[in-house]
Amino acid sequence: MSDQGIKSRPTYAPLAPDPSGRHHLLVVEAAEVPAEALAEGISPSAFEVWTVARRSAVPSVPAMEEAPGSVATFRSVTHLFSALEERLARETMGLRLYAAGAEPFLWDVWGRAQKAGLSRQETAFAEAGPKARRVYCVHCRTMSEGITTSIFTCPGCGASLFVRDHFSRRLAAFMAVQVDAEVPGEVPDAEELYA
Amino acid sequence: MTAAQPFSVRVREIVELAPSLKRFSFEPVHGGVFPTPPAGGHVLLTLRDGARVMKNAYSLVSPPSERARYDIIVRLVAQSRGGSSYLHRRVAPGDVLEMANPVSLFSLISTAKKHLLIGGGIGITPMLSFLPELKARGARFELHQLATLEEVPVFERLLAPYAAGEEIRVHGGGRAAFDLAGLLSRQPLGTHVYVCGPHSLMDAVASTAAALGWPKTKVHKESFGGDVTGLPFRAVLRKSGIEVEVGESQSLLEAIEAAGVDAPCLCRGGACGQCATPLVEGEAEHRDDFLSAEEKAAGTLIMTCVSRARGPRIVIDL
Repeated sequence: MSDQGIKSRPTYAPLAPDPSGRHHLLVVEAAEVPAEALAEGISPSAFEVWTVARRSAVPSVPAMEEAPGSVATFRSVTHLFSALEERLARETMGLRLYAAGAEPFLWDVWGRAQKAGLSRQETAFAEAGPKARRVYCVHCRTMSEGITTSIFTCPGCGASLFVRDHFSRRLAAFMAVQVDAEVPGEVPDAEELYA
Repeated sequence: MTAAQPFSVRVREIVELAPSLKRFSFEPVHGGVFPTPPAGGHVLLTLRDGARVMKNAYSLVSPPSERARYDIIVRLVAQSRGGSSYLHRRVAPGDVLEMANPVSLFSLISTAKKHLLIGGGIGITPMLSFLPELKARGARFELHQLATLEEVPVFERLLAPYAAGEEIRVHGGGRAAFDLAGLLSRQPLGTHVYVCGPHSLMDAVASTAAALGWPKTKVHKESFGGDVTGLPFRAVLRKSGIEVEVGESQSLLEAIEAAGVDAPCLCRGGACGQCATPLVEGEAEHRDDFLSAEEKAAGTLIMTCVSRARGPRIVIDL
């Protein structure tokens, strides 16, 4: 049932500052930089770091310091993305953007980076955190977050969907297709695969 | 691949822009229109000066939407190997020349957020083809043209049709007065820089951009090939079973063609890589922009259009 063997899946590597860059901004989906996201011997202080606290009370950042070693904390991922869009719009050539977090977060960062004109050569991603998938129903276009099973019911159209390994960088989501299209009602048992 | 079969063009007009700059306008000999050229494209002209055959590449300066004529601007170079001097002194309106279809190795990047154009001297030519295209696309751009003080008005006139409301500047104060690092350091994310001019200018742009953190993929250079002259040498064409003498003012490719061998080529300026030929024996003096430093050091390939032998003899697999 599984279609492993898809070779287009993104691959990730622990982060280190790109020596050819002029500014290094690291955005993290968590409150701290995950240790496994950094290459051996690399300290978070090599980057300007943005983190997400997931709580409302965060230290205020009156004049944001844009230097290696500085840390800015945001209330939520949405809050961070809003600041990131504003920052990228006024950045100059030479920036390197790094991201550490779960796969959907990384490619949401990429979408904003690409919109601002950054290329893959100017970005680097390290996967950290849960492997639960963001999934896109190819039939009704509904996104589902946090999917951990091989098969699930689409909250948009009610179809029983098989989660493929086909990852869309543009949508930052895995593609899912109706599993019982040939024989309606014949739905295999869901397996817990992506925790 | 070799450039397509040449076709005949008639010189329709020659305009002297400056003492050493002439604009040549060509039209199809048999009526009709030319193919739509790519922005930043160049054409290959075959120039026959007696027994000597030269094939030189010239950037088109007419707008890509213009199909009734193709225009080029040619600088008369003091140490010309014959191409620019032949065009300046021997070619007259009404003459028929051979031209190959335009190709481009210097394209505008459609995903760029901004285009930064830097021209040095006659390196203005591909920029003149870019400008109408950028205007038509409504793209964000900025152009800096370096010129000698005497030629500033000439370049200003050429750029005038595109200048209204745009960041277009002609610098006549020499390279030292041109703040390249300042210019490159204030460009917004997603900018691509395009430079055409002397090798020293293109190298300065590439190295300054790299030092400021620009990725290589956003730096674009259009090479004119530079100097291809040097000491004479003998080239052995192993597959063809012949030997050719390469004269001082002749390129290896020209000598091969003069011997009747159909060698691969496209840009004839050391940029495209089409003419890369295995080097079997002897050492090459690499003058191209295509091979990497490692490939040049390995010494197993030679670009026949611009590179020469370092020594009296080489053997190539052609």
